[in-house]
Amino acid sequence: MRLFWELTLLAVRRQLTYRAATLAGLMTNLFFGLLRAVVLMALYGAREEVAGMTVQDAITYTGLTQAAIAYLSIFGWYDLMDSVYTGQVGADLLKPLGYFRFWLALDLGRALVALVTRGLSILLLYALVVDLTVPQGMVQWMGLAAALFLSWLVSFGWRFLVNLASFWTPNARGIGRFAFGSAWVLSGFFMPLRFFPQWFIDLSHLTPFPSMVNTVIEVYLGLLQGPALLQALAVQLAWAAALALLCSLVLRAGLGRLVIQGG
Amino acid sequence: MLARTKVEQIITWWRFHLTIYRRLIGVQIRAQMEYRAAFLLEVFATMTTLFLFFLALALVLQRFGNLGGWRLGEVAFLWGTVEMSFGLMDLIFSGFDPGRFGQRVRRGTFDQLLLRPVNITVQVLGDEFVLRRLGHVFQGVAIFALAVYLADIQWTLGKILYLPWVVIGLICFFGGLFIMGATITFWTVESIEVVNILTYGGSEMMQYPMHIYPDWLRRIVTYIVPAIFLNYYPALYFLDRPDPFHLPAFAPFLSPVIGVGTLLLALAFWRFGIRHYQSTGT
Repeated sequence: MRLFWELTLLAVRRQLTYRAATLAGLMTNLFFGLLRAVVLMALYGAREEVAGMTVQDAITYTGLTQAAIAYLSIFGWYDLMDSVYTGQVGADLLKPLGYFRFWLALDLGRALVALVTRGLSILLLYALVVDLTVPQGMVQWMGLAAALFLSWLVSFGWRFLVNLASFWTPNARGIGRFAFGSAWVLSGFFMPLRFFPQWFIDLSHLTPFPSMVNTVIEVYLGLLQGPALLQALAVQLAWAAALALLCSLVLRAGLGRLVIQGG
Repeated sequence: MLARTKVEQIITWWRFHLTIYRRLIGVQIRAQMEYRAAFLLEVFATMTTLFLFFLALALVLQRFGNLGGWRLGEVAFLWGTVEMSFGLMDLIFSGFDPGRFGQRVRRGTFDQLLLRPVNITVQVLGDEFVLRRLGHVFQGVAIFALAVYLADIQWTLGKILYLPWVVIGLICFFGGLFIMGATITFWTVESIEVVNILTYGGSEMMQYPMHIYPDWLRRIVTYIVPAIFLNYYPALYFLDRPDPFHLPAFAPFLSPVIGVGTLLLALAFWRFGIRHYQSTGT
């Protein structure tokens, strides 16, 4: 376990060195967030509330999703694939930690830094410009913390799984683009899932994607309370476990097929 | 006689560089077609992923009815023209993609291009030709076709003749933004993510009717980066909608002028950048 935390700390330090990139990314996220807020406001028109979300909730939603981009690597994550292409994977597999936990530790460090530098600061900048909805009460804050942690676990499981495709094909980036692109819509990142027709919501809930973004948002906005909140967290936990299991199965199958490139 | 040799020189110049360009992208197309199944799969994947975004907007719009008074077909008109033009631009100007070009400058591989006795602009143009971007173009065409079907456009000869010019205007405009973004990396070295606000942000903004944006933002895209004339004003003309901002009646027809103007301006900036370029030494 000590090795795990040391790797996490290493990733934190590495991530903290990209200061200029963080600032530029922050401005870009903010710009796109406000652009999306304008579009949602135009959709609302004269309406006060749609599907249980007020205009203020909808604006907050755009801030929350922009804040989640770096934390959950929503635009895609190809670090593991790259390590396969460069041959680095050979050395990483020898680490006395297990391949899944090795990347988990690194991604935890990356995600923690992103959560603070990109996530939190976006919301603070947002708060300067618009009225934000804020979670109310101890229960909701605790629910939010749990949902945030689980969303990262689910997201990591999915990203790890997609990246494992590089054990089989040198064309895994294409698969990745498709996999991460679908998550854009089905996770509720593109638009709040509640705005979709019921059949689409049902469809999305057959996938792990809502557990990545939508649950966190609904917990934050207070749209899930009591048993519904607990159920959503349980679903997140179940997906995290299922994906971790799937990852270990696929990893075992993949190790036999792995072709180490270059080096 | 003197004038004639001048013309001949220009023709030879163009012929030579067109051959170079054809060869540069020919090699890449052959390489990318090497694994035909993988290539087709990528085109299909790009197309369906991007189309999913539009489908999501369509489903949400169904619930809300309209977006700033525009219905699905009308928004699709904006979305389709922007997406097909951006896709085509990306196919042609990929070598100038600020992110990728910045990497070239950083690694010093740009210097290799400078050493070759061939026009540098042609080389960068032919440097990256990502054929799978066709998926992006197809997706734009599909959405545009949907717009034509849904929006009940009253086609006239003028509209049919003008349509290709709108696409050309948009391609030149986005291409110009790519070139300016690439040129900036000569000084910043770091490919700056802020440039994305201009390119990808601009294209995203143009997918929606411009009257939904706050006044200050709309003034910027009217008078500073005149993106509003590239597809919003043409859309008003194609969809027979009144102009909410009461600009002169020729406003919808500025698209090719502003598009080509942006590209020429960008090329001038690019030449200036090349003259002042100092290698990173890597």
